[in-house]
Amino acid sequence: MADRRRINGPVGQTNPPIYDTPQEKRIAKRPGDNAVRKIFLKTGVTPSASGSAYLEIDDPFAIRPSGTNLKLTCTVHGPRALPRSAPFSPHIILSTHVKYAPFATRQRRGYLRDSSERDLGVHLETALRGAIIADRWPKSGVDIIVTIIEGDQNRDSPDYDRDEGWDMMNVLSGCITVASAAIADAGIDCVDTVAGGVAALAAQDEKSQPSIVLDPDVASYHKIFAACCVAYLPTRDEVTNVWFKGQLPGADAMLYNKMVERSLVACRNANRVLIQSLSETINPGQNVS
Amino acid sequence: MATSNSLTLSSATFAKLSPHPFLLANLQPSDPSTPSSRTNGRQPRQARPYSVNNSSLSHAHGSAVVRSGDTTVICGVRGETLLTSQIPNYRAPQADNIAIGDELRDYDLLVPNVELATGCAPNFLPGVPPTTLAQTLSTRLFSLLHSSKFLTAEDLRIYHDGAGTQGEGDTEEEGFGETTREVKAYWVLYIDVLFVSFDGNPFDVAWAAIIAALRDTKLPHAYWDVDRELVLCKRPTEKEPRPLSMRGLPVACTAAVFTARERQKKGSGQYWILVDPDRLEESLCNETVTMVVDNTEGETKVLTISKSGGTVVGPALMREFANVAATRWNEFRSALQ
Repeated sequence: MADRRRINGPVGQTNPPIYDTPQEKRIAKRPGDNAVRKIFLKTGVTPSASGSAYLEIDDPFAIRPSGTNLKLTCTVHGPRALPRSAPFSPHIILSTHVKYAPFATRQRRGYLRDSSERDLGVHLETALRGAIIADRWPKSGVDIIVTIIEGDQNRDSPDYDRDEGWDMMNVLSGCITVASAAIADAGIDCVDTVAGGVAALAAQDEKSQPSIVLDPDVASYHKIFAACCVAYLPTRDEVTNVWFKGQLPGADAMLYNKMVERSLVACRNANRVLIQSLSETINPGQNVS
Repeated sequence: MATSNSLTLSSATFAKLSPHPFLLANLQPSDPSTPSSRTNGRQPRQARPYSVNNSSLSHAHGSAVVRSGDTTVICGVRGETLLTSQIPNYRAPQADNIAIGDELRDYDLLVPNVELATGCAPNFLPGVPPTTLAQTLSTRLFSLLHSSKFLTAEDLRIYHDGAGTQGEGDTEEEGFGETTREVKAYWVLYIDVLFVSFDGNPFDVAWAAIIAALRDTKLPHAYWDVDRELVLCKRPTEKEPRPLSMRGLPVACTAAVFTARERQKKGSGQYWILVDPDRLEESLCNETVTMVVDNTEGETKVLTISKSGGTVVGPALMREFANVAATRWNEFRSALQ
């Protein structure tokens, strides 16, 4: 039975537009393997929530001025008392929700959360749980809701069908950073600000040797072999979550370590943006650089 | 107000503890020299200004972000194709274009949905089915989209020119002559409205976002491919996508009626019309009026009036409110440009 609480549209099947000519391949010149895309972060976008933040990652190859790759909003509600029916909990109970907007990706998303969204939610929860000082709020809960307004998929990417979900890595690292900013905005005590970062083993084109790149813009690579998303606490030098996906060639045993290390660099980068945006919230008008 | 020093409340605490007297005290100040205003500092007839930002999404065919005070709404319009063979009880439109019915409504070509469960306010959390408010909003927007006749079915038809594809030899289409232009498919517009931040007056802002997004919508040029039996689209680089044609510019304007409770002798029976209520005011008012007006042709045309919850607003006030809605229309039009 169809969802009766929403407007479902026609009974027949609708198809997203199919184009007659394939998209010409973009010539994407990365500034370098170590380059990280620009991050825009702002807190306090939803005044009625306890804390909120908005994150945008810039697309360096955007044709249109508004063509950014990743847009996320996060709202934090709480800490608040758990319902009476809930069992006693000595620490704060985190509940994370990650949801794609229907217009966030190439394929229209439904309104019910699918498995990939639940997966992102679980990863986000483990990443944040390590940072929050949970014992300070017994018997209370906090809701962290991330809405993906635009997923990290490029509309002009040549391989329309081959979607291996690499963009989820970038989405997760964005989710971690934005949620951390929103938690700080809500005034929930943390040991440090968590930041997410991604490194990937990718090949630029068919002939080139795969190399480790930071913050991979999926559309501009020929193939991605493996990717690693890390949540990191820079001042304590601790990692709260690692998500590794893909296959590594067996010859180099250190490759895995190298990838994690490279993603830590991306994390530190994101953390710098995070700190700056938070200090701008505290002293508005004063340009902290 | 508390006069003793031991119990002095800040205005924020007062607002939280007893919101109704707080708003009343603001609207009806004890000191006549202070002007009466709402808790948010606005005059009763003063609405929050709109700000509109178009085409910020890359995956949607049209999109808009509309902000009015602390209410922020994103609307994305996405076109998908629906084959006429997939429509049950499909009847081809007549050649003389006399409507045999409303195609937009009969074939469900417009699909507006409102998503409130984004944590946009503390009472809208995800993980639960859409709230009553989200459902009523979706339904009201759906019926307004159809009743205002804002879009035309012609824009959403995908034709196939039978005569143009005649190859060698005699196909069956030969017999039809030159009038073999038939509708093979329709565009279905998925209109998704997402609340980023919620501070009252959801209907007006959601409708404004839908209008702005539809004005921004450009559908790619689509044609029927006979060999593959598919609808194919031309790349925007090859053929410029065309915008939708629109009829007028309907703008919604909502006001809430705030009444002094009868218990309080001082101002019983008194009421205030609060245009563009925020979340606090909405929670205190029972009676709301929404009017959708269109001023494009110089005179105010009323498309919808809906009023619920009380008995204060009568015909005279309604007429007065139409003028308020007309000024709101002007505000929105200048925000669009």
